[in-house]
Amino acid sequence: MKSGNVFVSMQNVTKKYHDLYALHNVSLDIKEGEVFGYIGPNGAGKTTTMKILVGLISDFHGEVKIGSHKMPNQRNEIHKLLGYLPQNVAFQEWRTVKDSLKIFGKLSGLDDQEVEKRVPEVLDLLDLTTVCDKKISKLSGGMTQKVGLAQALLHGPKLLILDEPLNGLDPLSRQTFKEIVKKLSNKGTTILFSSHILSDVQDVADVIGILNHGKLLQFGSLNQLKQGLSAPKTVEVLLSTPSNRWQELGKIKGVQSIEQTNPGKIILTLQSEVDPDDAINRIGKVIIDLGMNIRGISLLSPSIDEIYINYIQGGQAQ
Amino acid sequence: MNLFNLYKDELRGFFKSKIMAFLWIGLPVLVIIFHFLQNTSTDQTIPFTWLSALIVSSIGGTLSAVMLSVSIINEKSRHVYELFLIRPVKRYEIMLAKFLAVYSCVAVASLIAISFGMVSDWVTTGTISHAVLSSAGESLAISLSMIAVSCSAGVLIGLVSPSIIVGAILVIYGGNSLSVIPLIPNMLEVADAAVFTIGLSGIVTLLLLAVAVISFNRKQF
Repeated sequence: MKSGNVFVSMQNVTKKYHDLYALHNVSLDIKEGEVFGYIGPNGAGKTTTMKILVGLISDFHGEVKIGSHKMPNQRNEIHKLLGYLPQNVAFQEWRTVKDSLKIFGKLSGLDDQEVEKRVPEVLDLLDLTTVCDKKISKLSGGMTQKVGLAQALLHGPKLLILDEPLNGLDPLSRQTFKEIVKKLSNKGTTILFSSHILSDVQDVADVIGILNHGKLLQFGSLNQLKQGLSAPKTVEVLLSTPSNRWQELGKIKGVQSIEQTNPGKIILTLQSEVDPDDAINRIGKVIIDLGMNIRGISLLSPSIDEIYINYIQGGQAQ
Repeated sequence: MNLFNLYKDELRGFFKSKIMAFLWIGLPVLVIIFHFLQNTSTDQTIPFTWLSALIVSSIGGTLSAVMLSVSIINEKSRHVYELFLIRPVKRYEIMLAKFLAVYSCVAVASLIAISFGMVSDWVTTGTISHAVLSSAGESLAISLSMIAVSCSAGVLIGLVSPSIIVGAILVIYGGNSLSVIPLIPNMLEVADAAVFTIGLSGIVTLLLLAVAVISFNRKQF
């Protein structure tokens, strides 16, 4: 169950590689049971963040806490709580799928009985049962990624850190992954994952962090990110029958510009200080007064791609 | 418990990747080949037991160092360790399990080769002289202690080398340098050379392993 308590906390974390900042004063809090989607261009510092959280990088500045434990000093305690999928998951060449899960289960603290119970469950969950005796080195990239996910989920960790988990997965497997994430989150598992597939992040993440050049540009829910956006607000009006009086809508108070993209489809850009709900009310009244047949009117919400591009190109720091 | 699980896992890996078969069958086969080569090139025949002890002592160390360094460099460069390091496992346990697995595999291969030599001598001559047995036993004990040194050097070289080629160069350099250990008792005119060599090998092994563990603990991934 989601408790609302902060489970993952990074305060002023900085990591440098020689003169280059991989992370620069990054601070973020993720609550228990929350799904955090981490997005940013290649080399932004997402993998470095994750490696710091899982203890693979310990020479950083700042404070990292998971649960009540500090990283890296209480690394062993933290490792009991987490499951991790690295960006390029790799296994020894001789390993079969089942072999891997068994040893990783044991090393994660499961006893023999738990391993015997959990391995088939996870194989079934990720549709890996038919390849369980195959060598991982003989599997496709997508299947290897699934084995990587399986080892991360196996021991029921309280925190899942997944670096590009959707890489190489087919649409069905992506759907399965999203369902698993939602289910685990509902049970109280905190999940941090990165992805370049922004629509997938939008589908499952409660909170999104946008990182660029080692700096956290934005952090919040999708709605909060939309509100913080400096992009102009636009209203779409759909008419049942096209009208040649559409340009009169441009005279409404608060409308900055207007264009008809298709006959009967009008896009109005609002002035930045205007409240969009008031503007929509005014636009509706004018349309009726003008005798136009209205089919629909809505505030166009920026897509996550637009939000991402806006923040990355704008480089606005939080 | 984790060390035991990791050790078993390494052995399973050697078995599945057929390393065990190559070691345990390959070394006795090598002894047979040398035995026949020696029979055709000279009139004097060295007992099979001596020959096998000689071969074990000459290649056992290099074999272990190469096995360990190459496997560690390979696994390190492929990021295989990440999935181990994010679990509640002590880092030294990972390296110690590797060390023990390679050591026990090469040690068993050496024992098989020497036992094979002894059985062959017994079958062909009907007897094995006490002198041959005793010198082969001493040679095996020294070889096993030197294999331990090579294994620990292999772990350290594997951890610090950026590539397999650099690792191979260091193993060859290191192998030559470490081969002076059995000569030290003679240089110091120590009475019981075998015991001294075994003791010194033990100390060097522990030192090299300690440096390897410190290096692995500090490593950033």
